[in-house]
Amino acid sequence: MAKQIIVGIADMKMARREGVLITYALGSCIGIALYDPMINLGALIHIMLPEQGTMADKNLYKYADTGIRETVRKMTAFGAVKNRMRAKIAGGAKMFETKGSQGLGNIGDRNAQNVKKMLREQGIRLVGEDTGANYARTMSIDASDGKVTIKTFGRPEITM
Amino acid sequence: MGIKNYEDMNALELDAIKEIGSIGTGNAATAISQVLRKKTKMSLPDVYILGYNEAIEMIGTPEEIVAAVLVKMSGEINGIMLFILKMDFINAVLESVLSKEISEYMDLTEMEKSALEEIGNIIISSYVNALSGLTGVGIGLSIPSIAVNMLGGILSVPMAEFGYETDKLMMINGKFIVDNKVLDSNLLMMPDISSLNYLMHKLGVD
Repeated sequence: MAKQIIVGIADMKMARREGVLITYALGSCIGIALYDPMINLGALIHIMLPEQGTMADKNLYKYADTGIRETVRKMTAFGAVKNRMRAKIAGGAKMFETKGSQGLGNIGDRNAQNVKKMLREQGIRLVGEDTGANYARTMSIDASDGKVTIKTFGRPEITM
Repeated sequence: MGIKNYEDMNALELDAIKEIGSIGTGNAATAISQVLRKKTKMSLPDVYILGYNEAIEMIGTPEEIVAAVLVKMSGEINGIMLFILKMDFINAVLESVLSKEISEYMDLTEMEKSALEEIGNIIISSYVNALSGLTGVGIGLSIPSIAVNMLGGILSVPMAEFGYETDKLMMINGKFIVDNKVLDSNLLMMPDISSLNYLMHKLGVD
């Protein structure tokens, strides 16, 4: 079994040719797997919120906008090319079905919208998506071929 | 505003939270003993201010399945309360209320989930009553909502909800002893930062 590299919350890791990047239990957060098949460079980001806004936060990977931008910048520095890069995303769930107007905002959905908007802005093709619903997902990407696996509680594993 | 983040709280302010936690746990133990019709004792709870990963480690592992009940506070205090139930707690409730036991989270029926949702709601209300009783502040509560899923995904809900305010979670951990069975109690009590300052002001410790 290939070496596993764990990506924490509000975090990003890259791997080239070998190794599996994995992030556990994405709830309303989103995992974004970026892959350049030509050079077998993969990255996995675990963002928590849609945009940085006015927060003077040093942690770029906490937000969809700054997280994607920074990861693309780093991958490019390692020789990846945007128009070869492919994205697969998972997460953005609404864990609690809150009833009535005083419920929580649907952060998961806003996260998914903003991740897709950022990918469009960066000109990166989205080729796989498993978002929404009400359950958490563990996501991994194999750096050798860019294959993404999604594990959930009580549902069959998804490969994309 | 004195407090900008949960971790900014000083010893006096943390003691005030601990006091709310103690009274809340006492109220909850009384309520549980009435609902389960079993003698229920409690341990003195501890208050923790933890990062996301630390909070997960304290309760279990990211992919571990748990049941969690969420209630939103509004009115003079805004925020959320999240009570986490593990298998032993779930079975203690189901045995007493519905005379049955489960071995897998998958086996939970809608009826059983709604029983757990109600117990979670009763426990959360016990803490909210302590909070409003000590401070004289009016707190409105939403209808409870239950999720049975990965711990990491569940804890990401308060993390994201307060992600623009704080990176920390505030947790009150204690134990209930029901019929000599020791059950862990993990409650996330998360007033937003301005509500927390208001509470401290009302308690006279700001």
